[in-house]
Amino acid sequence: MSTRLHLRLREAPPLRVSLDGIVPEQAADAADVAHRALWLGNQTIELGELFDVSTQTLEGDAVPELVIEGDCRRIDGIGRGMNGGMLRIEGDAGDYLGAGMLAGVIVVSGSAGDLAACEMQGGRIDIARNLGDFAASTLPGSMDGMRGGTLVVRGNVGARCADRMRRGMLIIHGDAGDFLASRMVAGTVALAGRAGAHCGYGMRRGTLVFAGNTPAAPPTFVATHQDIVVFWTLLRRSLDYHGGRFAALPGRAPRRLVGDLAAGGKGEWLLPHTD
Amino acid sequence: MSTTGQTTPMQRNGIHIDDTFAEAFPMKATRLIITAHNDTWAQHAAVATTGFATSVIACGCEAAIERPLSPDETPDGRPGVAVLLFSMSGKELAKQVERRVGQCVLTCPTTAVYAGIKDGDPIALAKNLRFFGDGWQISKMIDGTRYWRVPTMDGEFVGEETTFVVKAVGGGNLLILARDTEAALAAAEAGVAAMRTVPGVIMPFPGGVVRSGSKVGSKYASLSASTNDAFCPALTPLARKTELDPGVSCVMEIVIDGLTEADVSAAMRAGMDAIIARGAAAGVSRLSAGNYGGKLGPFHFHLRRILGEEGAV
Repeated sequence: MSTRLHLRLREAPPLRVSLDGIVPEQAADAADVAHRALWLGNQTIELGELFDVSTQTLEGDAVPELVIEGDCRRIDGIGRGMNGGMLRIEGDAGDYLGAGMLAGVIVVSGSAGDLAACEMQGGRIDIARNLGDFAASTLPGSMDGMRGGTLVVRGNVGARCADRMRRGMLIIHGDAGDFLASRMVAGTVALAGRAGAHCGYGMRRGTLVFAGNTPAAPPTFVATHQDIVVFWTLLRRSLDYHGGRFAALPGRAPRRLVGDLAAGGKGEWLLPHTD
Repeated sequence: MSTTGQTTPMQRNGIHIDDTFAEAFPMKATRLIITAHNDTWAQHAAVATTGFATSVIACGCEAAIERPLSPDETPDGRPGVAVLLFSMSGKELAKQVERRVGQCVLTCPTTAVYAGIKDGDPIALAKNLRFFGDGWQISKMIDGTRYWRVPTMDGEFVGEETTFVVKAVGGGNLLILARDTEAALAAAEAGVAAMRTVPGVIMPFPGGVVRSGSKVGSKYASLSASTNDAFCPALTPLARKTELDPGVSCVMEIVIDGLTEADVSAAMRAGMDAIIARGAAAGVSRLSAGNYGGKLGPFHFHLRRILGEEGAV
């Protein structure tokens, strides 16, 4: 049997707090979690001073679960380095959500701040609303962004999303800010809404699928004309699962652009709604 | 050596069923799914891939088409063909898969190739073939599976990075003893047609039938196998031991490789049922099987047990 650890935020803290290291695998040890020291400015407090902590035993083969409830916009590092289990956030989350995550599932009913899923390596993150800047990108000073797993955003993402992304799948149902997939190394980004300026800037490899609006291609992206219907079918069937505009992609092979020619030109844009 | 027994006669529709068994061996196998723009090109690729693959004795592997696949059965929604490849070791199978897919699928217009088995020990499928792309190849991970896209003159070749090897059974067999060539061929064709409806098996010889059944060993030291003289009509009066009755002038063998013991057994049952249904009047007098005394192969397919052991009909 597994345990569900429930953390209810009493009120939003006056300063930013990092919940780094609190993951579902620790759900069974509620007393230890309640006494965990957190930095609040230049002093430490116990986690139990900020959150009401309770546990619940789960029946059957359920995975360990961590539920965080409240206005957590100033709570950073939730699920950072998580390596299994289920993490549900009832509300908004702060920065670094799921950063470096290895496995498991994070579900957020609201929005999350900057640097969500940066350097994520596995698992799945599902955001019901919006993400800030640098989602699925690198930690400051690092060379590689998201490296695996799946990030699904039901709303919009900020600037520099998927910057230096290396592997994995990023699904954006809303719009993206400027510099989407800039310096992208590999992986797949599928966008249902509009992209901001400088999309694909410095893109080396990887795939960008525009399921909604077709953006104006920069001069460093050029069309190719080969038959890619086999690959497109494999990808389209995978995207279909995410619903929305991704469930209505045409079966015929999409128009394909390759670029950024200034960075090798092996990245691709797939434009299924243009002839 | 055969262990044909004549203790309790068993006949079905006038055909005598020998009290013997087919002796089969452990092998390693994989299934590949080859798709193409249409059935014709999928068949071309599958036929080429499984060519010269009748026996591990000299071909490196035993391979054949398992069945055609409709578009809704394939990963990319195009017509396809499932092929099975068997070898004596995973290492040899990996070598054969790479060579055959590289020369016969990668080269064939519009084709793509996927693993048809999703568990077992992984071996390279398109993993090394990607280097044909000379740096232009593209890797894509889709739902946890890695594919390689290699630019080709017709567009691009798509191949799954790995396929998987499972333990399998090779060398199930059925011997058809008939009055003449016409009757033996017709019975063998009917048997193979029935066996082809069973999933998980192949009959790797030409048309599924082999006329040069072999025994272990030879008078020549360099040969590990030689003609099965006990079943050669030409040697009935000459060989030290014969398994043939007067009136038998042609014997055909169907060799069956399967992913599991149950698959081979089901195929043998289907084949025997089809031959028995045609009756002794069609020219088949006996059904038998080849074995080595039961000491070499761990899988024994007793004909009478497969048929249910009931007495004469």
